[in-house]
Amino acid sequence: MRSRFDEQLAMLNNELTQMGAMCEEAIAIASKALSMGDVKLTDKVLSLDGEINQMERTIETLCLKLLLQQQPVARDLRQISAALKMITDMERIGTQAADIAEIITFLDGRTGEECEYIRFMAEATMQMVTESIDAFVKQDIVLAKTVVDHDDIVDHLFMQVKTALIKMIAENPTDGGYALDLLMIAKYFERIGDHAVNIAEWVVFSVTGTHKGKLG
Amino acid sequence: MTKKIFRSIMIVALAILMASIVIIMGCLYRYFSDVQERQLEDELTLAATGVEKSGQEYLEDLQSRQYRLTWVADNGTVLYDTFSDEKSMENHADRIEIQEAMQNSKGKSTRYSTTLLEKTLYYAQRLKDGSVLRISVKSVTIWVLVLGMMQPIMIVLVVAFILSGVLASRISKHIMEPLDCLDLEKPLENDTYEELAPLLNRINKQRRQIDLQLSELQRKNDEFTQITRSMTEGLVLLNENNIILSINPAALSLFRAERSCKGKDFLTIERSHDVSNAVQSALRNGHSEIRIEREGKEYQLHVNRIESNGAVIGAVVLAFDRTEAAFAERNRKEFTANVSHELKTPLQSIMGSAELIENGLVKTEDMPRFVGHIRTEAERLLTLIEDIIRLSRLDEENEMPFEDVDLYEVADEVVSRLKNIAAAKNIEISIVGESVYIKSVKQLLTETIFNLCDNAIKYNRDGGIVAVSVNRMKDKAVVSVKDSGIGISPEHQAKIFERFYRVDKSRSKESGGTGLGLSIVKHAVQHLNGKIDLQSKVGEGTTIQVSF
Repeated sequence: MRSRFDEQLAMLNNELTQMGAMCEEAIAIASKALSMGDVKLTDKVLSLDGEINQMERTIETLCLKLLLQQQPVARDLRQISAALKMITDMERIGTQAADIAEIITFLDGRTGEECEYIRFMAEATMQMVTESIDAFVKQDIVLAKTVVDHDDIVDHLFMQVKTALIKMIAENPTDGGYALDLLMIAKYFERIGDHAVNIAEWVVFSVTGTHKGKLG
Repeated sequence: MTKKIFRSIMIVALAILMASIVIIMGCLYRYFSDVQERQLEDELTLAATGVEKSGQEYLEDLQSRQYRLTWVADNGTVLYDTFSDEKSMENHADRIEIQEAMQNSKGKSTRYSTTLLEKTLYYAQRLKDGSVLRISVKSVTIWVLVLGMMQPIMIVLVVAFILSGVLASRISKHIMEPLDCLDLEKPLENDTYEELAPLLNRINKQRRQIDLQLSELQRKNDEFTQITRSMTEGLVLLNENNIILSINPAALSLFRAERSCKGKDFLTIERSHDVSNAVQSALRNGHSEIRIEREGKEYQLHVNRIESNGAVIGAVVLAFDRTEAAFAERNRKEFTANVSHELKTPLQSIMGSAELIENGLVKTEDMPRFVGHIRTEAERLLTLIEDIIRLSRLDEENEMPFEDVDLYEVADEVVSRLKNIAAAKNIEISIVGESVYIKSVKQLLTETIFNLCDNAIKYNRDGGIVAVSVNRMKDKAVVSVKDSGIGISPEHQAKIFERFYRVDKSRSKESGGTGLGLSIVKHAVQHLNGKIDLQSKVGEGTTIQVSF
């Protein structure tokens, strides 16, 4: 009985890891599409987002099945409830990557190179997502806490992007729409960073049993 | 063990108890019955005498509670009975003992009560007048005796039960103690029952066999670990559930994993979608290949299914570093594209000029210019082809004999060959140094120094200098070519040894270079096991130092 439960828990872990990997891939492709101005890549992000949504349903079903059939307690219960919360954040990451991809199609092949902070943001958020998934895979609380710290960097970068874009609009008012698109992209990256933080916090919860509330 | 011993003890105890009871009871009962019978007979004889003498009065006077006396007439009517009223009693003529007595003067019989708990012993004797006197006594049967003894027997049984239990556990403990203390590591050194010797011998034999197999297994395992450890390719063994069974250091560093990942899911160290798909497809179809990029390096992953007796038992992932191969491939493609482009340009120029001449569009006075143009372009083509041939010869690494060569002599020869060309460009070329003999290939050395000096002259400024020096530094022979030319900026420095690379593309035609000179130098020096050092500052000049 227990070994069957263990098997199901291992399966849940695998599916979560795969879903995390898909999220990583989605933002990696989205930021590549942005930096190369390659509109063709955005289709890939959209289809990945579909897959991520599908995956969310699958994992949700599995979690509910486990909760109902096995009635887990203590650590197992934490793991499953944390998984339920994490997939929501992962799904948001996927959707926001898709949103970024959608905006890229409006940029007419421009890559946002005028504002290099966006590239830094993309890299920083990608690193955050990768680290949060790594923290989950390795059940590494220290790594999860660094993800939380990294969020400050991304937030700071977002402010810099904002300042740079204000300057850009002031210098070249005709590029106003473009600048706003870039701001939206930056905002999405910033949101993705927040979701990565959430994931990391749920990792901490599933290991230690304490959740220190969402950071703004 | 305890149970068995207990059972045997119990059975023995029971059997002995039963046997003793049966034998003792049987003997005693028989003895007492005999005594009783004899007594009865005596009593009867006495009573008969009494009755014959004083008739009924004797009987009436007789007060016996144990014995019952019945006087029966010769027709069977009861005349008197000491226990009950004779009138109510039936005719006794049919009783066995009475009949026997009437015929043989004495008779006897035994009758049991319906419950078998009581028996009545009868003795009869014929009196002189023909009547019969009968005596009877009631006694209990053997069963009643046994029943009476039931309580002590039960107590004995309970005691036997407890005793045999205690005894059994004591004995079994006693037997097992040396067995428990057996040292199975050294079975033959145990001091225990000799009955165990064959068993210990067998254990010893098996132990030796196990040790042998274990060491064999260990050896094979060590071999495997040694081989996989020194492999530069990454190797991961997975079972059918994707769990890592074995992973070598190369794979650990490729996937940036730690040793502890053994026994975990492959997903925990490599979760990219493509790789997990490749593993799944290998488990399904037997084989798959995939290229991945890690930290700027390119790897090719081969995933193969492992089968045993037709069942899938896992997969093996083999990772090759393809960075260099991919780089070489890219280089070759670039080279082919460059060669065709470089060959096409002069040819097109020649074609154009020839077409103009053919169509008579060239005036007679312009003819020498056009023909000269064709000749220079053809010459360019020729040098280019010569360079390519030279390069490909170096690529093929034909056997060129190493001989003792004086580096200074070679350099001096080159310098004197280039003196005129340098002078035409108003450049001063000089050589200093000493004779240094090295084992080398003269032709390649000449080519190397020639190309270096040629470049130094080509990319120089008016009135510049080219200084060649040959000397020995420590155990190395060093030739350096220094110019006061235009210099090479840092971003170009790494690339100038690539084929067809030119710092300034617009100047190539003017200087007449093919873009292969430094590439030839690089290959030649590589072939001669030398090393190239480049120092350059834009606007100040370049020093290229070759050490062998």
